[in-house]
Amino acid sequence: MNALSSYRVLELAEGVGGEYCGKLLADFGAEVIKIERPGVGSPTRRLGPFAMKGESIEHSGLFGYLNTNKRSVALDLTTTAGRDALMQLFAAVDIVIDDHAPGWLANVGLDPLQIDDKWPSLVLCSITAYGQNPPAERKHAEDLTVFHSSGWGFHTPGVGFEDMPPLKGPGRFFSHYEAALEAAMVITGSLYDRESDGRGRFIDVSMHEVMVSRADYVVAQFVAGEMDVTDWRGGFDMHGPGGIFPCMDGFIYVFMATPDQWAAYRKMIGDPEWARDLPPDWLMKGLTPERIELTRHGLRTWLAGRNKVDAAHEAQELGITLVPVNTPVEVMASPQYRHRQYFVDVTHPVLGTLKYPSVPYRLSETPAAITAPAPLLGQDSARYLSSVAAGER
Amino acid sequence: MASLKRGGPLQGLRVVELTKIWAGPEAGKHLAFMGAEVIKIETNAALDFTRFDTLTGDINKARGFMSVNPQKLSAQIDIKSKAGVDLVLDLLSHSDMLIDNLRPGAMERLGLHWDAVRAVNPRIVQVTMGMYGNDGPLTHQTGYAPCFCAIGGLSAQVGYKDQPPTGINMRYGDSSYGTAAAYAGLVALLHSRRTGIGQFVDVSAVECMTTMIADTMMDFALNGTEQTCDGTRHAEMAPHGVYRCRGGDWISIAVSSDAGWAALADVMGQEGLAGDARFADLAARKANEDALDELVSDWASVRDCNGMVGVLQGRGVAAGKSCNSMDLVTDAQLWQRGFFPEVSQPDATIRPIVGPGAKISRPAQICDDAPWLGADTDYVLRDILGLSADARASLKESGITG
Repeated sequence: MNALSSYRVLELAEGVGGEYCGKLLADFGAEVIKIERPGVGSPTRRLGPFAMKGESIEHSGLFGYLNTNKRSVALDLTTTAGRDALMQLFAAVDIVIDDHAPGWLANVGLDPLQIDDKWPSLVLCSITAYGQNPPAERKHAEDLTVFHSSGWGFHTPGVGFEDMPPLKGPGRFFSHYEAALEAAMVITGSLYDRESDGRGRFIDVSMHEVMVSRADYVVAQFVAGEMDVTDWRGGFDMHGPGGIFPCMDGFIYVFMATPDQWAAYRKMIGDPEWARDLPPDWLMKGLTPERIELTRHGLRTWLAGRNKVDAAHEAQELGITLVPVNTPVEVMASPQYRHRQYFVDVTHPVLGTLKYPSVPYRLSETPAAITAPAPLLGQDSARYLSSVAAGER
Repeated sequence: MASLKRGGPLQGLRVVELTKIWAGPEAGKHLAFMGAEVIKIETNAALDFTRFDTLTGDINKARGFMSVNPQKLSAQIDIKSKAGVDLVLDLLSHSDMLIDNLRPGAMERLGLHWDAVRAVNPRIVQVTMGMYGNDGPLTHQTGYAPCFCAIGGLSAQVGYKDQPPTGINMRYGDSSYGTAAAYAGLVALLHSRRTGIGQFVDVSAVECMTTMIADTMMDFALNGTEQTCDGTRHAEMAPHGVYRCRGGDWISIAVSSDAGWAALADVMGQEGLAGDARFADLAARKANEDALDELVSDWASVRDCNGMVGVLQGRGVAAGKSCNSMDLVTDAQLWQRGFFPEVSQPDATIRPIVGPGAKISRPAQICDDAPWLGADTDYVLRDILGLSADARASLKESGITG
């Protein structure tokens, strides 16, 4: 029994946001029933990375990752029989996760405005780009456009790159993953008082609002009038000599902002005369372009003869927050990730055995666990459609 | 049982925070937004440095601190003293969750390690946050949010083609990490509620970052492909970029289908573009992406950003302005949805804050700004711990409480 084993989830979602939300719950034992279109399945089955060439709906590593521990039920929601079966499922689950455009849920018979009357114990979560009633100029969205309307895009990379175009976030589904995490958190919170009063909730997750709220530390200061709002691309940033620097085998990132870190830096690079001449608290109270450049030059020189792991080790020993900029292979090879078994072997009948990323939290009593690979399309249809039709729970 | 009544799914829940800066406070903020009573333990001699604001010079009006600590209570207790730690343990026996993001090893040194905590309350959930997590060979190393991104693999995925990586904006990381901690804590709390068994939750910042590029890691696991930074490009969409507009604004455009490209090409209105074989399907557009981006750039550069967004959205194309800080605080939809709720301070100062990322039915009331230092010490000592006036006076006199 895992922490969420007693909860049954109906996943109507067909995108990365809803599927990742379902996965977050499924990896803690929730029974997640995924509804897929007969014959074609979830659209994420047609997104890479793929295990091999050729047409197959079972080749997607993305689908494989997002749907561990779930059940797949193939159901045609365009037919009356399909809709009827869906209505029966609504009554047999605790949670519904959707990520279609606003209005879709009402069209399949689950109007968010009616859940209090019709399904009072249901926790219904809708993940959309801009919430339930987006304005005309926000009807169509992709991860990139959400990222850029949230402030993160405009301010990436940030100061020092004002002459270059703003960038995208890491990977392809950054805003989707963030919204999914928020959704899983609020769903779980909503289950808490449901334990005593049995009442469900409607949860309206706007990817846009989630992303803006992820910058709360700065946006709150902007909106309260405590920090100047501007059209400056460096407007989110703290300033100083830190950043990404090359070393022998790649790049490191270093952050320095305090007198203690400055003292440690001086020690690290051998305390040259120019460094002794700077005031001990200049990182806090005396930033100038000249001082920043001197410091960066000193760092580059020190790094030129070191690899990233050794540089991080030496700097950390002195109290400097210097770390490696890891590539995927380096993340997988990290002794820390290995020790914590972050990557776990999952065997899927088509994808084979692969190291999947797991979860970033270790629970002493109910650890998350991948106990089953992503389902083949419709593999659980017979079981659920007959048992639910028979009224079983 | 917490006495704070703001409604919401977590009303009645009591959370104690020993947190600093952003990630730990963010975890508590999420719970406070859902109605939990969140008590920050603050030690005068070791205050969170976000309490020190060189501009306002007032620990109760520190801007960064206020940004991520709304709705919370503050109890001033010296946790560097044995008596102070005993008070915290007593408080934990009346609480449901403890969250900390102190330096590695600090909780052990203070005597607030899991064995000590569960000894006073076997039902409690202890959420411990550390850059590398609480266990493992590199646990002693420390860092701030951009360090999480660098280690977790995100930074190497963001940058310009054939250039060193730049990483995502340096503010990214803490809030996501805090959200993952809140989620894991709530899962553990549900389990505790059902079984009476508490647990220790060890949350790693760097692993949290890696989950944000999990499919990139899957690509490596499947095919040995190491993705690297590539500007704004996307394997399954083209065009997929951010283009400069007339007047210096930037527009983001992402085309996910041939129909989307046909609509964009039609809006661009150049003769023959819609039928140009170089851009006929995704494979062709990816193969000729430099030329494609040049055409879109030229088209956008002489046009108004919001005008283009309106027309493209009308044709079903995902497009939006790349928003600066001015755009964010004047975003009509955010205001209309109540994303910036107003909260008040004890001196009746009212200001808007950044609200929750999700809207829920029957939400908790969001009404209170971040606490003034020690504002709720008496509430904790008197109402929760049941200490007499004499006992409280004595603690204050000896400097153990504020």
